[in-house]
Amino acid sequence: MSDVLNKTEEIVKKAKSLGADEVLAKTTFGRYRQARFSSNQTDITVAWNDYVTDVTLAWKKRLVATQIHDFQDVDAGLKSLLQLAKVSQENPLFGGFAKGEFKYATSKADKKLEELENPTDYISAAVEAARKEAGAEIDSGGILFTRFEDVYLVSSEGPVGVDKRSAVELSIRAFTQREASGHGVECSSALKDFKPERAGAKAGEIAELAKNPKAGDEGVYDVIFDPLIFGSSLAVWGSMVGAFNVLIQMSVFVNKIGQKVAPEIVTMRDNPGAYSLSSRVFDDEGVPARENVFIDRGVLKGYLHNTSTAKMFKTETTGNAGLVAPNAWNIELDAGDVSKDELFEDVKKGLYLTNTWYTRFQNYAKGDFSTIPRDGIFLIEKGKIRQSLKDLRVSDNALSMLGKIAGISKERQHVHWWGEAEPPSLSPYVLIKDVHLTKSK
Amino acid sequence: MEEDIVDYALKYAESKQIEYAEVRGQSQVQDRLMLRDGILEAYVSAVDSGFCVRILANGGIGFASTNKWTREEAKDIVDLALKYAETAGRRDKIVFAKEKGIETKWTVDQKRKVEDVSPEERITEFVEVNKSLASCGVKIAATIFQCSIDLISKYFVSSEGSRISSFVPKIGAFLFLTVAEQGKTEQAGEQFGYSGGWEAFKEWNITDKMIHDAKILKDVITKGKTVKPGNMDLICGPEVTGIAAHESCGHPMEADRILGREMSQAGRSFIYKGGPYWLGTRIGGDTVTIVDDPSLEHSYGYYAYDDEGLKARRRFLYKNGIINEFLHNRESAAKLGTKSNASSRSINYDREAIVRMANTFVLPGNMTEEELVEDVKSGVYMKSFTEWNIDDKRFNQRYVGREAYMIENGELTHPVARPVIETTTLKFWSAVDAVSKKAEFEAATCGKGDPAQGVPVYTGGPCIRLRGVYVK
Repeated sequence: MSDVLNKTEEIVKKAKSLGADEVLAKTTFGRYRQARFSSNQTDITVAWNDYVTDVTLAWKKRLVATQIHDFQDVDAGLKSLLQLAKVSQENPLFGGFAKGEFKYATSKADKKLEELENPTDYISAAVEAARKEAGAEIDSGGILFTRFEDVYLVSSEGPVGVDKRSAVELSIRAFTQREASGHGVECSSALKDFKPERAGAKAGEIAELAKNPKAGDEGVYDVIFDPLIFGSSLAVWGSMVGAFNVLIQMSVFVNKIGQKVAPEIVTMRDNPGAYSLSSRVFDDEGVPARENVFIDRGVLKGYLHNTSTAKMFKTETTGNAGLVAPNAWNIELDAGDVSKDELFEDVKKGLYLTNTWYTRFQNYAKGDFSTIPRDGIFLIEKGKIRQSLKDLRVSDNALSMLGKIAGISKERQHVHWWGEAEPPSLSPYVLIKDVHLTKSK
Repeated sequence: MEEDIVDYALKYAESKQIEYAEVRGQSQVQDRLMLRDGILEAYVSAVDSGFCVRILANGGIGFASTNKWTREEAKDIVDLALKYAETAGRRDKIVFAKEKGIETKWTVDQKRKVEDVSPEERITEFVEVNKSLASCGVKIAATIFQCSIDLISKYFVSSEGSRISSFVPKIGAFLFLTVAEQGKTEQAGEQFGYSGGWEAFKEWNITDKMIHDAKILKDVITKGKTVKPGNMDLICGPEVTGIAAHESCGHPMEADRILGREMSQAGRSFIYKGGPYWLGTRIGGDTVTIVDDPSLEHSYGYYAYDDEGLKARRRFLYKNGIINEFLHNRESAAKLGTKSNASSRSINYDREAIVRMANTFVLPGNMTEEELVEDVKSGVYMKSFTEWNIDDKRFNQRYVGREAYMIENGELTHPVARPVIETTTLKFWSAVDAVSKKAEFEAATCGKGDPAQGVPVYTGGPCIRLRGVYVK
């Protein structure tokens, strides 16, 4: 047992000896590196070193938490945390932390990402790939981010685990004209699978196609969603199957378990697999993280849970624990049986959307929302891209869009992007029928 | 916070070949509580403390931070930041607009210190809000309440001689409710924020505001009519005026965005050199003056000195309808040949300070709210909003009303269910012909940066009247 794991265990024992009923301690040594660039040049390179132990304890169904940054400073922190629990209020629905001893898969984290000191080298590969597609005059910007975490978790209820988590991602947006841009991302848990030039080529290809955009027309369209923008939709649905969001009515899936919410071609799952930016072997209660199908051939099978929400819904935890709310780790939409090209061929007149931002809801329970496509909006006629468009907004409903999925490509991409495609996902090209688009008047 | 380690890190950085260095230590006492349906889910209390170094060398910038307070760690992060700066390999060398060092201390006063308010009292206050809501005669399907308290101590030093210490307590709350009536739901969220002590809680009148929202949502479900789409007059209440000022004036006037530094995330701006809009271009009516002002005492976005150590002041962004002054930090100011106006903010020691708004609002005019309404034959009064968004050049925006009323012959007649204005920045601000003299502020968290840095701000302002805009 490592020294850090020992010290993490000591925190748990100490808290128990002070009177806590249940205790969870998770120590994370995080090493994060980022390079930001714009106008094809590095603006800043950043390093963060973070050392923290998250301690959560329960005392008579009162749940409190704190952070400890220094193992020398444990006693005072735990005493005041327990004192806080004693003046806090009981949550009768608190279901305790996960119990039992678990065997975990071996982490497949990439040690090279721990040793990588200067991540700027990968940026030029992406910029050059974008230039190859769209010419030397492009204006590009983005980020290259790496993460390596050592995680040590000890629970008074049995789970003890060590994990290593690594990630590398590149995001590049390339402009060929003031209002013509393309965006590409490349995401991986390991350097060996990381190809920054793929993101650059995608950004350049879209930016080239996006030249000379015309204002689009309001209307109802059949729309092909690129994996990046569809990652934003998967993030919405993935968040809404979190049991806590169901409890607080921030979900279109309230009271819909067992009901058909999508066509039969739709199977959606949460999977923190080894390839994913969210790869992990256990959740924040020490339950083995696993694959969970939540929409099976169009039928809503269940929600994502921690131990407490699982008890409320009379089921078992799905290994998605956060402190209060369960989280989706990495959403996957199962691949379809048509190619991307065949999907385009199916569209007589429609749109191809590549990225979006600023998704906002009027009412999460009902699902009415709008979002603003960017980085390449294209008119499709007879299966071909005919015209670059601009200034359109998707103004529709999250549940009805899920129900109107009409085609899914075989090709899928692991995507994640700032603010929108979060959590990450494995996302195909998807055709959705009758999507409402609006514009400024 | 160990100020001697901050000083040590700067001294060590100054011993290297640098053009500029700064070290910022920050210690943040953080309290968070969350209640669902009036029951406490969890209470989190922690201290986050660390320091960062930013170095300008060889025309590049390097930044590194740590939460380990040792001299060895200080040396390591200085070395790392310096290496990053030196190896940036930029064609265009970055410079910072020149400034003199400042030595000062500043704090925000608390009438009732939050440290003196027990966790029990904090919890009880929110439990009582929920009890009042539960008995207000509206069917509440769900509530979620969050309260945050941050006691922020900073110590900033720079190679130009700045030594600035500060202490700011910030209190925030977010309440979200779902009303279910007649088999339909409506939802509302309210944010509250203040720089100062627990006196804020009483001033917010949370209970009254949430009961008002619950009743309004019930009215929308039971009495709301849809608007017949067409051109009409629109009166925007402070909440709607505020979000429009924030989104379609504050953000596009951020100089880093104008220069492209945020292009991959929050985007660029419809304002750019050589384009149709620049300093001196008309963007709105004569009555439209929008300022960003960090110096409003006790505002959620208050600060006396920014995170580059410059004294804060009011900025006139749109002045009498003309694009007047961008928001700058020292890097953007140098690129555009001007001085910083102290708009550089960071949310914590582990984040680079970037160009941010503070409190953005339309300056009040000279009319009463009643006078604005009296002169409308047919229109909509949109008091608050639900869904909103704007494109990444900050030109095409949409606001959907939450509390809204039809106006007929100068009178409010009946509730309107979710009226929508979807228009451009130019059309929106050009349509404004009158501004009320009374202003109300709203707390918000402004998003920008990668990794994300949500900073506290005020929006809000007066009521404004727009003539002949398309509402649907």
